[in-house]
Amino acid sequence: MPELFPVWLSLRVALLATLLTLAGGLPLAWLLARQRFPGRDLVEAAVVLPLVLPPTVLGYYLLLLIASQGPVGRALGALGVELAFTWRAAVLAACVGSVALLVKAAQAGFESVDARLEQAARTLGRSEWGIFWSITLPLAWRSVVAGTVLAFCRALGDFGITLMVAGNIPGLTQTLPLAIYDHVQSNRMAEANALALLAVAGVTALLMGLGRLARLRF
Amino acid sequence: MWRVWALAAAAVLCALPWLPDAAAAQPARPAITVFAAADLVFAFGELVPLFEQRSGARVTLVLGSSGTLARQIEHGAPADVFFSADRALVDDLARAGAIIPETRSLYAQGRLALAVSKRAGLALRDLRDLERPEVRRIAIANPEHAPYGRAAKEALQALALWERLRPRLVYGENIRHTLQFVQAGAVEAAIVALSIASVAEVAAVAVDPRLHRPLDQMAAVLRRSGRPELGLALLQLVQGAEGRPIMKRYGFLVPGEF
Repeated sequence: MPELFPVWLSLRVALLATLLTLAGGLPLAWLLARQRFPGRDLVEAAVVLPLVLPPTVLGYYLLLLIASQGPVGRALGALGVELAFTWRAAVLAACVGSVALLVKAAQAGFESVDARLEQAARTLGRSEWGIFWSITLPLAWRSVVAGTVLAFCRALGDFGITLMVAGNIPGLTQTLPLAIYDHVQSNRMAEANALALLAVAGVTALLMGLGRLARLRF
Repeated sequence: MWRVWALAAAAVLCALPWLPDAAAAQPARPAITVFAAADLVFAFGELVPLFEQRSGARVTLVLGSSGTLARQIEHGAPADVFFSADRALVDDLARAGAIIPETRSLYAQGRLALAVSKRAGLALRDLRDLERPEVRRIAIANPEHAPYGRAAKEALQALALWERLRPRLVYGENIRHTLQFVQAGAVEAAIVALSIASVAEVAAVAVDPRLHRPLDQMAAVLRRSGRPELGLALLQLVQGAEGRPIMKRYGFLVPGEF
């Protein structure tokens, strides 16, 4: 029976990361879908970059930023927050790895909403905020859910970025993928298989449940 | 009704990971974090519990490639002591001021092993047998950055086999990854660390250490450690009368043998 701490840690990290990704990614997706501003193409490219770079390389660059001597790390240190090699770094790693999946899916969803419907709401005096919540999001929700599921799964499975910025510290920052890797490294295949099976079964059940939910109407 | 159930399920799902876990409820014992090279995985599986028993301290063991661990230490990783498979990395950390220089010690030398897949049904006795045509693929760790890969290349060069075997070589990312190629039966043979080669799927033969430059393994206590005396105690245990036979049994050369 393997230690279950990594399972709880991973769930915690992936849930938090998904919430943060939603909070940051939805506004960004809406901006990319509906607004024209200077540097828009650059932002759109930057969002996808984390999918292009090898994760451990990306993790190393991120570590340079958030390490105690790095620019971001020093600023956070002044506020008394330590980021590198804590579970918070694992959340950051999961966000960086998954944000592109949410943004691209949600952006496509928002773009597919007929702009004339929003225009009509505008002529009836709805605020932009109200239009988003009552028109755009309800019409694009399937894409947003799809993006959220992809982002959650990517967050749950992140290996390379987490390994670099959070370390592989058992009982502290060792997430499920890192624990499985560690068991394989130590030739404890039974534990590795048990955890891998648990991850696969858990996510399969989650996706099947969501699939059923998605067929219902909101 | 289903909305209520869905919300309840979501709430439970979100609350679960925040339940207190066993790791958080551990009693306050002195604790250190040990960063150790991946070739120590089996030897430290025995040495760390012994140290915990002797010292009463709790050890968090983080295994990884020495290069990755060194980079993390350079950027402030919360480790107390670092057991590297590569001497140069510890020297670099000393220059960067990350370690206590007086604690540096050459605690072991790594040895190479020829690992042969049992599934392949080949009886290979030494590196020269790799020339046999039945050996279609040979794995070594990447000689560009893995110390055991570099040593494997030197050994093959010393036997004038390097150029001839080159078309059959496959590079693993690190020594453990290289062994996995043999365990999976993807290659017939590999040159790996003797310390990790005793796994079920593989027959291992030690390689003569005179065929390559010594694989000096160096350890040191980190300057940021809050309990340097514990790190030092572990270092002394590994090199001492109790640790040496264990390190030897797991395929290392120990101080006094080199």
